[in-house]
Amino acid sequence: MSLASAFNIINGSFSAIAAQSATISNNVANANTAGYSRQVANVSTDPFGGVTVYSVTREADDALSAQLNTANSDSAAQNAISSGLTTLAQTISDSASATTSTGSQQNGDSPSAMLGNFVSAMTTYEADPNNPAAAQAAVAAAGDVASSLNAGAKAVTQVRTQADQQIGQAVTQVNSLLGQFQTVNDSIISGLANGSNVGSLEDKRDSLVTQIAQQIGVGTSTSSNGSMSIYTDSGAMLFQNTAATLTFTPSGQLGPNATGNQVYVNGTPITGSGSGSSIQSGAIAGLTQLRDTIAPQYQSQLDQIAGNLISAFQETDQSTTNTGLPPQAGLFTNATSESVPSSGNFTGLASSIAINANVDPTQGGNATLLRDGGISDTTDTNYTYNTSGDAGYTGRLQQLVSALQTPTSFAASAGLGASSSISAFAQNSVSWLQGANSQASTNATYQSSLQSQASSALSNATGVNLDTELTNMLTIESSYTASAKLLTTANSMLDAIINAV
Amino acid sequence: MSISSISTAYLNTALLPSVNQAQSQLATLEVEASTGQYADLGLQLGSQSGYELSLRSQDDLLQSMTAANGVTKTNLAASTSALTSIQSSAQSTAATLVTWTAGSNSPSTLQNYGQNGLQQLIALGNTTSGDAYVFGGQNTGVAPLDDFYASPTSTAKSAVDSAFQTYFGFSTSSPQVANITAPQMQDFLSGPFAAQFQGANWTSNWSTASSVNTSTQIAPGQTVETSTNANTAGFQQLAQGYSMLSEFGNIGLSSGAEQALAGAAIGVINKGSSSITNAQASLGSVQGEITSADDQMSAQMTLLQTSLGNLDSVNAAKVSTELTTLTTQLQTAYQLTSQLHSLNLAQYLPT
Repeated sequence: MSLASAFNIINGSFSAIAAQSATISNNVANANTAGYSRQVANVSTDPFGGVTVYSVTREADDALSAQLNTANSDSAAQNAISSGLTTLAQTISDSASATTSTGSQQNGDSPSAMLGNFVSAMTTYEADPNNPAAAQAAVAAAGDVASSLNAGAKAVTQVRTQADQQIGQAVTQVNSLLGQFQTVNDSIISGLANGSNVGSLEDKRDSLVTQIAQQIGVGTSTSSNGSMSIYTDSGAMLFQNTAATLTFTPSGQLGPNATGNQVYVNGTPITGSGSGSSIQSGAIAGLTQLRDTIAPQYQSQLDQIAGNLISAFQETDQSTTNTGLPPQAGLFTNATSESVPSSGNFTGLASSIAINANVDPTQGGNATLLRDGGISDTTDTNYTYNTSGDAGYTGRLQQLVSALQTPTSFAASAGLGASSSISAFAQNSVSWLQGANSQASTNATYQSSLQSQASSALSNATGVNLDTELTNMLTIESSYTASAKLLTTANSMLDAIINAV
Repeated sequence: MSISSISTAYLNTALLPSVNQAQSQLATLEVEASTGQYADLGLQLGSQSGYELSLRSQDDLLQSMTAANGVTKTNLAASTSALTSIQSSAQSTAATLVTWTAGSNSPSTLQNYGQNGLQQLIALGNTTSGDAYVFGGQNTGVAPLDDFYASPTSTAKSAVDSAFQTYFGFSTSSPQVANITAPQMQDFLSGPFAAQFQGANWTSNWSTASSVNTSTQIAPGQTVETSTNANTAGFQQLAQGYSMLSEFGNIGLSSGAEQALAGAAIGVINKGSSSITNAQASLGSVQGEITSADDQMSAQMTLLQTSLGNLDSVNAAKVSTELTTLTTQLQTAYQLTSQLHSLNLAQYLPT
């Protein structure tokens, strides 16, 4: 072996050290970059002696990455549901239950609480039926019942419309992410083919998958040429060499009767109960569930309350001759006509229910009609219950209060049982909503802690530890010092020979 | 990397989530400590929210029923005190009448007894409590008894006069009055005259009250009649007794007829007095029912308040302990974070 080859080996050692230092510097620089995977310079002996860096690899952990993606998807779905339910629960504002400074107890704004106040006001009026102020208070309480139903229905529409818009935004985002994914994936394939370091590109690709996973639950698989495929958790292909296109038509305002559109991948629906391949997680799944299942169910409960209120307060023909007049809507109406809706036609009533202008003093009506009847038609005495015109008549008031507490039938689709009193049904509706809200909030918290665990596990497995890098740096520094020493020694040996000649 | 590896990024941020969580918990606990109730009741109670609401609306209902019973009790007290006055003056009139003898006492006293009694009966019969005429039955908006002595002549007075005219064939101012015998007078008083105070004659000439009494729910599911009305026997009999004295006491009847008149009046007034006592008794029992309903509702409200307190109130001791623990935890987290940042190999390497 010649002295010249010693120079070659030292030279190789310097380049290996340079390559290693570059990797370490890169690692140190990215120590706090989220999603960065630590890179390692792989060193081996040169067949001709010496050392060489033959590759730089990235410390990836596919299992942990997949786990993080799943956790992200589940968390996004639960968050979507939870925030929708929180919006709905705000219309109840049950948390404002603290005793106010005036000493009166606030029971929140739920239809149930308003019904409770209404029954109390009716009871007060019944004990003092010739007191117009008590009549006005009872009518005002009835107005509060109607407006709390209106507010609830409005919130449902708002939540559904918002969910629909968010689905639209999510679809646009996924399409754009898939486009970027294609570019990055192509660069990785060509980079791998010509042997360059694709570590940072792979980081970029993983972060794209993570972002897609927040919108749609996905799985991935990597083929031998390094190309990654993405499919939804229901099996629909999102990316395989080329990106699929997600299509969705936003509906604008989603009223009580309207159904939103589904999301399609290359023409196949991936949301909705009719689809065989509907996605299970991700924000889109959560939003769809909120828009198509949860919010409509609450809407249906409110509609049932509104419809049954209108029919419980309907006025029937009181004439002794019994001319067979049809029942007419009394205190509560659908705001447009005096007709009483049939039990199959309650859809949308929660948004339209109002108190009859004939009995509402603020609209020029006469509150005393609440006691006397004849609200539906002030000119038709056939609907007047207080035929003697007595100021102390309480029969109708007692009838109305008991109507609220008598079991009536409710649509089973509202999910609160087929038969209960209106008051009990309204209470059950609050229980249902708050129960779902509390459940969703617990789930969201749980999923978010799972996600944070998965993220720290991945960070610990693939992230950078500065102390490790510094230790490696010290080792390299020592070997650099040693190599330099070797170089000086070899040089002086060479000098000695040259001087000797 | 091996199992025990840890990334610097994680090490630096490990405490962030727990600090965030502690801070948001701190905010919640502060609200709970100051209000004594859960910060977000709906979230806390979940599917029990409806139950909690039902307890609260039950409590509200009982409160407004108790308040409403206050109104009813005031009405009842007004009724009872009016009835007491009516009854005591009826009794004293009857007692004085017993000592009245035709010939030795002046007939004008008879007339005075009648007039005073009837005026008082009408005034007390029109007693109001708040805006309500308490003896109006359901018809609380209109004074139940018309003024008998009103001008122009009231329907009641004309009806009485015409009954006399029809029966005897002459008016009360006719000199022929002196010829009426005691049996004739008795027949008239117990026949056509008495009929004036019954049925349709009473309701069309004397009273605008409704025969249906007001009924009120005094406790959930317990509805009682909470008034008596001017169409009851007591009012009719007293009006009959007083008006016979007032109208025929001083029209120049013979002694025999006058004595018969006084006798008939005593009988009717005594009957009226005992009818009024009965009405008082039934009102008294309603008052008793209301009082016991109030007691029962107040006991129920105490129970409800206790259950509500168990549902929405936080344990103050627990909250303050948690607050202290959280504060300590936060301080530890802050200290650790700063220590972890200085725990770094770079700090210990020679420069």
